[in-house]
Amino acid sequence: MAEKETPPIILQFAPLNSSVDEGFWHSFSSLKLDKLGIDDSPISITGFSGPCSHPQVSNHLTLLSESLPLEEESLIGTTSHGNRNKCPVPGILYNTNTVESFNKLDKQSLLKAEAKKIWEDIQSGKALEDSSVLSRFLVISFADLKKWSFRYWFAFPALVLDPPVSLIELKPASEYFSSEEAESVSAACNDWRDSDLTTDVPFFLVSVSSDSKASIRHLKDWEACQGDHQKLLFGFYDPCHLPSNPGWPLRNYLALIRSRWNLETVWFFCYRESRGFADLNLSLVGQASVTLSSGESAETVPNSVGWELNKGKRVPRSISLANSMDPTRLAVSAVDLNLKLMRWRALPSLNLNVLSSVKCLLLGAGTLGCQVARTLMGWGIRNITFVDYGKVAMSNPVRQSLYTFEDCVGRGEFKAVAAVKSLKQIFPAMETSGVVMAIPMPGHPISSQEEDSVLGDCKRLSDLIESHDAVFLLTDTRESRWLPSLLCANANKIAINAALGFDSYMVMRHGAGPTSLSDDMQNLDINKTNTQRLGCYFCNDVVAPQDSMTDRTLDQQCTVTRPGLAPIAGALAVELLVGVLQHPHGINAKGDNSSLSNTGNNDDSPLGILPHQIRGSVSQFSQITLLGQASNSCTACSETVSFSF
Amino acid sequence: MDSAREVSDGRLTVEGFSVASRAFADKWKIHNQSFPPWSWVPLINRTLLVSKKQEEGYLSLEKIIILSSLEEEIPEDESLNVATDCLEKEETVDHTILVPTMENEAHYYDFHIVYSASYKVPVLYFRGYCSGGEPLALDVIKKDVPSCSVSLLLESKWTFITQEEHPYLNRPWFKLHPCGTEDWIKLLSQSSSSSGCQMPIVLYLVSWFSVVGQVVGLRIPLEMLN
Repeated sequence: MAEKETPPIILQFAPLNSSVDEGFWHSFSSLKLDKLGIDDSPISITGFSGPCSHPQVSNHLTLLSESLPLEEESLIGTTSHGNRNKCPVPGILYNTNTVESFNKLDKQSLLKAEAKKIWEDIQSGKALEDSSVLSRFLVISFADLKKWSFRYWFAFPALVLDPPVSLIELKPASEYFSSEEAESVSAACNDWRDSDLTTDVPFFLVSVSSDSKASIRHLKDWEACQGDHQKLLFGFYDPCHLPSNPGWPLRNYLALIRSRWNLETVWFFCYRESRGFADLNLSLVGQASVTLSSGESAETVPNSVGWELNKGKRVPRSISLANSMDPTRLAVSAVDLNLKLMRWRALPSLNLNVLSSVKCLLLGAGTLGCQVARTLMGWGIRNITFVDYGKVAMSNPVRQSLYTFEDCVGRGEFKAVAAVKSLKQIFPAMETSGVVMAIPMPGHPISSQEEDSVLGDCKRLSDLIESHDAVFLLTDTRESRWLPSLLCANANKIAINAALGFDSYMVMRHGAGPTSLSDDMQNLDINKTNTQRLGCYFCNDVVAPQDSMTDRTLDQQCTVTRPGLAPIAGALAVELLVGVLQHPHGINAKGDNSSLSNTGNNDDSPLGILPHQIRGSVSQFSQITLLGQASNSCTACSETVSFSF
Repeated sequence: MDSAREVSDGRLTVEGFSVASRAFADKWKIHNQSFPPWSWVPLINRTLLVSKKQEEGYLSLEKIIILSSLEEEIPEDESLNVATDCLEKEETVDHTILVPTMENEAHYYDFHIVYSASYKVPVLYFRGYCSGGEPLALDVIKKDVPSCSVSLLLESKWTFITQEEHPYLNRPWFKLHPCGTEDWIKLLSQSSSSSGCQMPIVLYLVSWFSVVGQVVGLRIPLEMLN
C-alpha cells in the first residue's frame, strides 16, 4: 500500500526590517556637506542588530549616527564591541546625488555583488571567524539636503537555496528542552550575552551533553564539538518575534551550514530575549531538511533576494526631517520657546498670538528705527515695514544698529533696503519689507512738477498705514510727523511717537482717532477723563502739559544727540506698544501716571502701567510719565481736521 | 576629599549626580524588572586634562516599545512608485518569504537623564519615534504616555515640556524644564525627613524620578524609595 506522502512544508522566513535613526541622517548630512560633496562612491557602514526583545514586536536592523565611519571628535564614548543590543553588522551605502540616478541604480547587480561577498566569505571560512558577515546588507539612498528629506531602500541579501529548505518541526524552545536542559541553556545564553567578548557574536553552537549541561560555542569550534553532545543546535540571534517562523538571518546561516558541513537535517535555535534575559518560551527550536549540495562548484553564486518591502510594496522608503534639521525652522522654534518660557515663568496672561500677528510700520530707519526694530524682534514681532528715503552714510553704522560698514561703501545702500536685509540676517523668518519714500511735509514748498509725485506719496503713505496695525513715528523732523499723525488718527491706528533732543527724549502713544468714539461715547460728559481721547504729538505744543518741567524744544532738527538716548527711547517705544497690545482696551486704554498708580499689578495690564507719555533726560538720569488729552483744535487729530481730510 | 552624603538645597554637584545615578540604576534593576535597566553613558572629554577622576555622563533608557493602536495617517508618497518598475521584472518570486500581516505600529521611546550644570539638577530628556525613524510629535507622545497621577507637583507650574537641543547629541529632544526642580526637591525632602531639608544623595535621583517619571508615564515601585 503506497504511503500517502505529505508534501514537505517549505520553511518560510520572516523578512527583516530596517530602522534608521534620525541621528544617522543628521550625521550623514554633515558628512556629505563637510566632506563628501558630490562624491558618490559607496561608503562602508555598520548596522546594529540584536535578538528580539519583545513578544509582539520584531527587532530591526538599525542605523545610528555611529553607523557612519567616525570622523570628528564626539563627546560620547564610541560604541566599541561589547554592546549587547548593538551587534555590529557590515553594510554598504550607495548614495546618489539626484533622485533620477537613485531610480536608475541597477538594484539587481548591486544585490548580486553583496550576495557574492557573502558567498565568498562562506567559502573562504571568514564567516566562521566573524559570523556577522552573514547578515551583510546594502542601502541605496538619495539625500535631498535642501528639503531635508531622505529616500532610501534596504536590501538584506539572502542566498536562495534550491530546492527550498523544508521544515520538519518548529516549537518553542521550552517545549523542546527538558526543564533541566532549559535551565542550563538559559544560563549558558545569559552568560554568553553578559560577556563583552561574545555578546555581539550573533551565530553560535548550542551543545547539550547527556547530563543536561549546555554550553555555547563559537562556530569555528564545530569540529571540536563533534561527539561531545547529545544535542547540537545551530543558534542565532533571531530578530523575529513570531511563534511560527524564524527570522531572516537563518537563510544565510543555512547556506553556510550546507556549504561547510553538508548536513541533511539541521537543528536550529532561534534565540530571543525578553527584558534582557533569555526567554525560552519566545525562542524557537526547529528542525530543517536541507537538500545536500550536489557538488556544484563553489564559484557559482546562488541567486539572491532581499529588497525590503515598504508596507508590502516594492517601493523605497522616505522620511522628512525638515522640522528637526532645517536651521530656519529650528531658529523659529527656539525664539518661540523663549517667549513661551517668559509667559510660563513670569507672565501667564501674556497674549503671544497678538504679538506674532501685529504688523508694524516704521517711519524712519535711522537711530530710532533700528533700535525699535531690534526690540520688536525680541518680543517675537515678525512683521516690520520700513519707510525711509535716505541712504546709509558713513557716520551711521556706529549709531544705527542694523547697518554695517559694507552698507556705506560705494554709493551707499538705501536704508530701507539695508534694514530689511539686516533683519533677515538676524532672524530668517522675519516678514519684512522696505519702502524708499520721502514723507510729505507741510511747510515745505513743492514745485508744480513734483505735485503729482507728492500726492502719490501721500496716497502711498495712507495705504501703508491702512495695511498695518501699529505705526512708529521715528523721523528726524517735527513736520514729517504731521501727516502720519493725521492719517493714523483718521484710520484709528496705534501710533507711537518717539523724538530725541540733545540729552532728552520723549515717547508717547497717540490717543484713538476722533472717529473712534462711538455715538454712545460722544454723548457722555466730555469732562470725564476716562472717555477722553489721549492727545497726539501736535495736540499740545511741545511743552509738557501738566508739568512745569522745562524742556528743550524737541522740534529742532536734531542730528546730534547723546548716543544713549536712541536705545532708551526706542526700547520704551516698543514696550509702550506691547503694553497697548496687551491691554484689553487697546488703543483706547486710558493713560496711567506712575505717580498715581498703585504699586501692585494692575488688573488691566499684567505688564504694569500704561502711560500716555514718557519724558526723560540723560543729564538728570530721570524719567517721568505724563498725561495729555486730545485737543479739539489739534492740527492733526481733531475732529475738524479729520473731517475735512 | 569631602563627599557630602546629603544635599540640603535641592541641588546636586557633578559628582553627586554620578553617585546618585549609579544608586538609581542599581535600585531600578532590582525593583523594576518590568523595564530594561538604565545604562550609564560616559562622556569623554578629550580636550580637557582633568586632575581628578571626574566621570561625567548621563543615564540612558532606550527603545521602550509602546504599541500604538492609532491609525498612522502618513500620506503616501506617490513619487516612490517610480522606482519599482525595474525591480518587478527581474527579481524572482520567492516562496520562502513570509508575507507578514499588518501589525500595530510600534512607537519607540528613549529617555536620558542628563545633568544640568547651570541649574545643578538632573533633567529628563525624551523622544519618541516610529520604526522608520520619524520623530513623534508631542501630542502623539502624550497619548502614548499619559501622565500618571494628578498631584500638586504635576501642575503646569512645575512641569513645562520644551523642545531643545540635546546637550550632547545635537538634535532636538523634548525635555522637562528644570527651573522648578530645586524647589520641589526641597519640598519633597521636607515632607519625608524629619531633619529639615536633608536629602541623601543616593536617594536624590530616585525621589526626583518618582515625580518626573510620572509626567512621562514611568512609575517606579515604592520599594525603590527605601
